Amino acid sequence: MRSLRQPGRALALALALSVCGFLVLFSLIGALTPVEGVVAAPLNGLSGLFNRVSLSLNATFEELNSLGQLRERIAVLEEQLARRQVESIELREAASDYVRLKSMLAYTSPLEDQDFLPADVIAIEQTGIARNIIINRGTRDGIAVGMPVTTELGLVGRIVLVSANAAQVQLINDENSAVSSRLQTTRAHGSIIGQASGVLRLTMVDLDEVITQGDLVITSGLGGNFPPDIVVGQVTSVRQFEFELFQEAEVRSLFDFDTLELVLVITSFEPIDLTVFERTGEN
Amino acid sequence: MGRYLSIAILGLAAALSASFVPQFIAFIEALLSSITPFHINTRGQPSLVMLLVICWSIRSSLGDGFIWALVGGIMLDLMSILPIGASSAALVLIVFVVNSVARQLLRLRFLFLLAVTAFATVFIAAFTIFALFLLGNTYDIPSLIRLVLLPTMIYNLIAVLPVYASVRLLQRRLEGGLQVAPHSLSLGTEIGSHE
Repeated sequence: MRSLRQPGRALALALALSVCGFLVLFSLIGALTPVEGVVAAPLNGLSGLFNRVSLSLNATFEELNSLGQLRERIAVLEEQLARRQVESIELREAASDYVRLKSMLAYTSPLEDQDFLPADVIAIEQTGIARNIIINRGTRDGIAVGMPVTTELGLVGRIVLVSANAAQVQLINDENSAVSSRLQTTRAHGSIIGQASGVLRLTMVDLDEVITQGDLVITSGLGGNFPPDIVVGQVTSVRQFEFELFQEAEVRSLFDFDTLELVLVITSFEPIDLTVFERTGEN
Repeated sequence: MGRYLSIAILGLAAALSASFVPQFIAFIEALLSSITPFHINTRGQPSLVMLLVICWSIRSSLGDGFIWALVGGIMLDLMSILPIGASSAALVLIVFVVNSVARQLLRLRFLFLLAVTAFATVFIAAFTIFALFLLGNTYDIPSLIRLVLLPTMIYNLIAVLPVYASVRLLQRRLEGGLQVAPHSLSLGTEIGSHE
């Protein structure tokens, strides 16, 4: 076996590992950021193109596969539509009351004042370990680390890395993501944590609170990382044991994270750094 | 020539791995779930860049292998949360091991390829988890083994055979325009016929 005992091979290995070490070092201190942007641009363009093609192919195959299921689904949906139309009339009444009361109180919802920037999803993290996506907007478009990312169906994640023309988004179903949330109905507070299986789990909810299957979970705004009142998902099952301090619920997002095409970055939201208060507390 | 080709081939593989491959795997898993009683939903996918680097380095010089490892690692890191160079270091170490044992173990034919692929898959996963841990991320290791490592290994073991055949075909053409007979795609003949 040719091994490290051969000086030429050992030298080549040391040289190659040194190059890697310098690259890691320069990358960590941000010295490679401008070069990364330039080098990644064609790669991002190519993967964006592939992504669009594969998503449309997938959609076509899925449509063909589920034709029979679709017919049954249409019947169910028609029935639901009739029920919703009745509800809609009631809600319209409530909405008109809300508008009137809102103008009286000069109250504005935090989300209404936000600026959104649309972005295409161009790549998905390929290690499978971290759950990230790459979008085609970067510092040139005013994107910064910490900005929340949503779709019209709810919260997607937050920006964790930015280059000139692309940004990495940590999805809320990543194991290292935590989102302060509350139940829309009972206003009970909790935290949405990503699981290894990709599902969302609502944790840290007091045992006294009532969680019902179908409840909507929204962001609470606590912690200052996300604006309040963005939809996170819907409760699918509840787990409650008397010997535990808190109860948990499994939450399903209203969209599929694997088939995201277009997302919205909330550019006007500035995350609040609460570590200042932690340091003051320590002192 | 192979060194310059690495940029194009590995760039294409990285772009495919970040876009088409996950969608394709999701489609296959959905299809299998609908025709079998099992619900298949994993987070694994074949590591095209890693497989290309391994397959290229088996029959090339150590220097060439290192170039492919460096380029491949950079392509991977450009599309991941890891700092540039982290994956390159892991691939460089894999190339060194592969290149050191290739001549002796190539006689074991495709068993060698499968063993190297299995080893490299585990090594890259462990390296990535360790690098992410250093960056402050923690993961549920048993779940990752079940949902990411094992499916990735299965996909890699399936994909390494066509990847090796394609790489070998390309290397032969680059070596001097040799006529490539159709039977040269047969893996057993190819690996066994090593000098």
